[in-house]
Amino acid sequence: MSLNVFQIIALGVLLALFATTIFGAVRHWLGRGEAILASMVWIAGIVAVLWPEATTNLARAVGIRRGADLLLYCGSVVAMVGFLMTYIRLRRLRRDVTLLTRNMAIRDAHISEPTASGDVHTD
Amino acid sequence: MAEGVFVVIPAYNESACIAQVAREVREAYPNVVVVDDGSSDNTAEAAKAGATYVLRHPINRGQGAALQTGITFALQRGASHVVTFDADGQHRVEDIAALLAPLRAGEAEIALGSRFLGDAVDMPAARRRVLKLAVLFTRVVNRVELTDAHNGLRAFTRRAAERIDITLDRMAHASELIDQVRRSGLAYTEIPVQIRYTEYSLAKGQTSRGAFRIVLHYILGRVFQ
Repeated sequence: MSLNVFQIIALGVLLALFATTIFGAVRHWLGRGEAILASMVWIAGIVAVLWPEATTNLARAVGIRRGADLLLYCGSVVAMVGFLMTYIRLRRLRRDVTLLTRNMAIRDAHISEPTASGDVHTD
Repeated sequence: MAEGVFVVIPAYNESACIAQVAREVREAYPNVVVVDDGSSDNTAEAAKAGATYVLRHPINRGQGAALQTGITFALQRGASHVVTFDADGQHRVEDIAALLAPLRAGEAEIALGSRFLGDAVDMPAARRRVLKLAVLFTRVVNRVELTDAHNGLRAFTRRAAERIDITLDRMAHASELIDQVRRSGLAYTEIPVQIRYTEYSLAKGQTSRGAFRIVLHYILGRVFQ
């Protein structure tokens, strides 16, 4: 099998991403579901780069004429799912930041209340 | 009677008036909690001249987050009633007693101030339109019949405050709060209050574009809750 320049570069990038995903899963930077989903995307990419005709055959099998269109559709779906997951994670992160901020504000509250003698005590 | 009442005032860049607002409230209610929401001016320092308790968010998290911080703190300090009050001087201290009256009489657990039942002094027409749209939004989306949906003057019994958990940090918290009031099943009532619009409070208030952003944040908050 002879590979052109684009295939060599694309394959290198996809293999690096796949390796990073596996490394991330082992180190628990990524959840199991995320790692499986990402791995499936990278493997599909590797297959598409090594056997371009496979995407065309698959596209025809599902009623799309060109393999490039199938890749575009799949890429759009993956991008949307990725965006959604990132957004959900960002919301959780914001929530955690707010809870942390709240705890700090309550812990460090400045209190100035009148004592029995009428003096003001300040913490 | 006023000892158990905690008045929570969220403040962001309000150094110009927070001391006076807090002082006025404290003359009637000894427990005034100012929550400085990460202001870039010296709001927290200014608030110490008037408030009983000054809490400071190290970073800005939004009015909803500041309110919940104040409510949580008030409950931890043993509040029997929690009142929320705006920092820009547009609310009247005497209206707090009117809000607390039905709560103390056992007629309701939550009292919401209404400028449309009461009086809105010098309210611009554009602001009135935005607020009326907010009322319509509340009726359709929250399924709650109110005359004023986004009034910052509210009062809760301890039991009601314990059921409030504001998760929408920014201005959409007002709609979320109404949602929680409805879901709590606790009795609520609207009380006429007066809002005084000044150049200062109008400059701090919401624009029509801001109102659109609030709706968007509320919808996203509900979808991804």
